Amino acid sequence: MSVVPAEASRGDRLSAARAALKGAEERLSTTRLAWDAPRLPLAESLAPVLPDGLRRGQVVAVTGSTSLMLALAGEASRAGSWTSMIGMPHAGILAAAGRGVDLTRLALVPHPGIHAAAVVGACIDGMDVVLLGPRLAMSDADRRRVMAKAREGGSVLIVAGSWPGAHAVLEVKGVRWGGLGAGDGRLRHRELTVAIEGRARGAVKMVTIAVDVDRQWRGSPNKEGLSGGVAKAGAGESWTRPSMGTS
Amino acid sequence: MVATVRRAVLWVPDWPVVAAMAAAGVGVDAPAAVLHGRGMVAVSAAARAAGVRRGMRKRHAQRACPELTILPHDEGRDAREFEAVAAAAERVVSGVEISRPGLLMIPANGAARFHGSEDALAEALVTGVADDAAYESCVGVADGLLAAIAAARASVLVPAGASRDFLAPYGVGTLALAAMERLQRVAVEDLVSVLVRLGLGTLGDFTALPLSDVIARFGAVGAWAHRIARGEDVAPPVLRRSEDDIAVEYVFEEPAQRVEQFALVAAFIAEQLDAALLASGVRCGRVRITARTEKGDVLERVWRTDVGVRAGAFAKHMADRVRWQLEGWLSGTATGPEPAPLVSLALTAEDVVLLGSEQAYLWGGASGSDAKAHRSLERVQGLLGVEGVLSVREQGGRSPRDRVQALPWGQEGQTPRSLGHPWPGRIPEPAPATVFATAEPLAVLDAGGRPVVVDRRLGISAPPTWVRRQADPRDGLARAVHRHPSSGHVGGSEGPVWGAARPVEAWAGPWPVSERWWAEDGSRRAYVQIALREGEGELGLAVLAAFTAGGWVLEAIYD
Repeated sequence: MSVVPAEASRGDRLSAARAALKGAEERLSTTRLAWDAPRLPLAESLAPVLPDGLRRGQVVAVTGSTSLMLALAGEASRAGSWTSMIGMPHAGILAAAGRGVDLTRLALVPHPGIHAAAVVGACIDGMDVVLLGPRLAMSDADRRRVMAKAREGGSVLIVAGSWPGAHAVLEVKGVRWGGLGAGDGRLRHRELTVAIEGRARGAVKMVTIAVDVDRQWRGSPNKEGLSGGVAKAGAGESWTRPSMGTS
Repeated sequence: MVATVRRAVLWVPDWPVVAAMAAAGVGVDAPAAVLHGRGMVAVSAAARAAGVRRGMRKRHAQRACPELTILPHDEGRDAREFEAVAAAAERVVSGVEISRPGLLMIPANGAARFHGSEDALAEALVTGVADDAAYESCVGVADGLLAAIAAARASVLVPAGASRDFLAPYGVGTLALAAMERLQRVAVEDLVSVLVRLGLGTLGDFTALPLSDVIARFGAVGAWAHRIARGEDVAPPVLRRSEDDIAVEYVFEEPAQRVEQFALVAAFIAEQLDAALLASGVRCGRVRITARTEKGDVLERVWRTDVGVRAGAFAKHMADRVRWQLEGWLSGTATGPEPAPLVSLALTAEDVVLLGSEQAYLWGGASGSDAKAHRSLERVQGLLGVEGVLSVREQGGRSPRDRVQALPWGQEGQTPRSLGHPWPGRIPEPAPATVFATAEPLAVLDAGGRPVVVDRRLGISAPPTWVRRQADPRDGLARAVHRHPSSGHVGGSEGPVWGAARPVEAWAGPWPVSERWWAEDGSRRAYVQIALREGEGELGLAVLAAFTAGGWVLEAIYD
């Protein structure tokens, strides 16, 4: 610890004091060093949802949006991680591919049944990102074991529904679609309002992110309803509606 | 420069039609022709005698010879049938090159020495093919490719060094005989037409030109033609060496149906295959498992084997797959013919490569994390059975469900539908994140509570205003409402239990898709995207609904 000269400016003295405090904390290991676990890549647009990034060993519980789960896994899969989806028989594979999930490194276990805990355990051993559907046959003890295993092995669990002790809890509170009208248009733009809760976080934070972005669409989802957005869009742009198809 | 090789050529005249007649069971002396596109590509001798020519239209050919049998064109069949001829020729000489179905090339030096003379070789070949494969053939011997083919067509033996003089009187059109591929033939035919218009009618005239001038005027094709017209070679013959498949088979003494029996046999033949692969010093990339039932059905699957990383585990790895496949099939979960006792079980190695020459991935070998993931998935497969773990890939299609192909992990299936086709009427992006494996029923109602209908002319009866999904089966209230007399029926009905009606915020459609209307599995549907209003703790949901067969179904949810 260095002695700060009395004539140093306020800023210098503050930073010196902070450095001293940090040194003391590290010596006594009061900070959570576990939180310095390496991160998996995460799409930039999702940074507000998980400010700490997608840390290995973490459990992220998502309520209300399968798209958000897929988006969280997408960038890591694109970067070379293996992904498995357990107990999600209805997951939209095209949506997953559209959000960056590499289908060659994706394995589906749609119906784990009574072996859910064993299957999740096996997948955590071999995969970086494991997506779990709702209503898996797992007790709280199973969940704790799985969490410990994930922390040890450095996998990320992205869970639909609630999960006791999750590191981050994302709950979708509102969805706003753009592009759809009264019989015309199509779904083009989506904004999610997400409530973020976390173990290491105090108050609940609300964040709005755009999960589906159509660059050609110039409307904006607004409070008055979706048709307003379409009216704006209809004037400036032209897209053809899908024609009669025969194969 | 390639040294000119003395070659014997075995030529079966009119091969496509001869093969087609053999495959169709038409007598050898019947008039027949093979039709491809708009014209005849090959004509049998009897048909030719009746006046049918190559390139004739079907109508003209039938006018010339009303009893003509017209057979379809099939290159696969031509090649397959020719295998018998090649095998017969291989009993006479070792090593033949199949230049194209109908034409075999044999290096003549050694073979002629073995049989005593070129005459004896030719005779042995013709007799061998006639006896073993029952086809008439012509044999000719000469130096160089083109001369040998011309000699075979004339059934003559051209003495060594006389090829150039032998070819000189032939027309330049003969050059096309030496072109083995279609594109090459087109280029050669272009060249021939130019030569004819230049007044160079014979190969002798053509070869009299200096080579440098030919190259300057005609480029690579000209150089190739000049060289073979002089009776020289452009490439040494590529000899095929026939190798038997590496396969093992177990025939049950009594037809077996119990899984325990299969487990033992699976382990046994997997070990045998491993030993057979090791004995020939090769390794395989895929294994085909074939099981035959008492009823004559065949159950066949192809499995990938990434044995590169753990060669020692091959036998166990394959035994597991055989067992899983048979278990899944016997329990009726997997698709396939009706379960019946098995009479035999066979494993065939495919994608065989020599040990040490496997193709690794582009970026080095299978990485540690890949191997780890594969191992964990195998563990899950061991737990849940082979169909428990799926791999998916994208394929062409219109609805979100059709655009995904799922297969048991590690198994190879039929090729997916092409992504490159346009697929008009495809549901636009973004793709829904929840796609139901089988569509759920849905009630789409207008402002008055009547069901919305899409008519044959794709008019929608009224704008959708309310949507009711099926209620959660655990929702007692919805069930009670369903049973209540005010719901319009007393004592409940067979129909679905509807949840609460939710107001529609916005919608788009209908987008009609009529698929495979000519087939049994055809479907006509009109898709509608509907966004539901938020409220009462419910999220503003967007759904993809379809009107088909008089009712609405919920295809997918954009959640």
